[in-house]
Amino acid sequence: MSAAGHCWQCNQSTSGQLFCPACNSLQPPPNDYYALLGLERKLNLNTQALQQRFYELSRRLHPDRFMQRPVEERQYSLDASSILNDAYRTLKDPVKRAQYVLKQAGFDVGEQRSKDVPPELLEEVFELNMALEEMRGGDNSARPQLEQAESNFTRMMTDVDRQLESLFEKYDRSPSRDPLSELRGVLNRRKYIQNLLDEVHAELTPDT
Amino acid sequence: MAYSNKVLDHYNNPRNVGSLDKSDPNVGTGMVGAPECGDVMKLQVKVNPETGVIEDAKFKTFGCGSAIASSSLATEWLHGKTVDEALQIKNTDIVNELSLPPVKIHCSVLAEDAIKAAISDYKKKAATKSEAVASS
Repeated sequence: MSAAGHCWQCNQSTSGQLFCPACNSLQPPPNDYYALLGLERKLNLNTQALQQRFYELSRRLHPDRFMQRPVEERQYSLDASSILNDAYRTLKDPVKRAQYVLKQAGFDVGEQRSKDVPPELLEEVFELNMALEEMRGGDNSARPQLEQAESNFTRMMTDVDRQLESLFEKYDRSPSRDPLSELRGVLNRRKYIQNLLDEVHAELTPDT
Repeated sequence: MAYSNKVLDHYNNPRNVGSLDKSDPNVGTGMVGAPECGDVMKLQVKVNPETGVIEDAKFKTFGCGSAIASSSLATEWLHGKTVDEALQIKNTDIVNELSLPPVKIHCSVLAEDAIKAAISDYKKKAATKSEAVASS
């Protein structure tokens, strides 16, 4: 995994393995989540297989196993364990996984300006927020409306998740920027709907 | 995270909340959003076409305290400014005035974007209006 692809310990070729095939020394871990887990860069992941892979690697990379090893390997095991935990937390969640793949592909995920958001979406979200606020201003009589809004938002969420699924498949069939930029749009919409849903939930369940 | 007193003041007593008539040719509307936090901000200006001075500004923001305070402050500043002066307002001015922490800087960026969007909408309307006058 070192830049040269040679083991830091015995200088044999590692063929990109985490453990040197010749001397079994742990190599400097890659930062990339998919690479560390030895997974293909797919948006659709079998979460069960991911979990198994995570448990297996967690055991093999655990710092306790490297107490008697050279200082380099002790450090690599610490680094690898920490990346592995982040990797698992990110990849097991479809939305976080998609955000990660977008980021790795060079899309700005955290620093978007409003020009990246379609105006129709902003209008829609604004109107939904206005309606929600009006309902909230009232007394208990607004409850049926809020419940209606909740089921609307839930349905919108289901639709968005279905869109995500199909974009995942599209990207996995032919990884390119097109499905990714579509994906980013859908994720933006999802975030807005999630917020609306959280608000309406909070309104319908007092004392939380 | 603790909000500064100025943020709290704008949050608790937001200035100029509301809306102006979108179809009025002298009203410019800017609608912006920050997808990563789910904020939406609508900011409107009413410009005197003779003088180019902003006579009224209104906003409505769905978002965190800093986003509300940033847009509230922006409308306060817009009153009485000319369109060109308004375009000079920078997000850093808002950051300084409200003592926004680094994680909330994007809220001030949103307010700056909203000002620019509202003014560009007004200018677009003004241009089509003068075209209409010229062709009639």
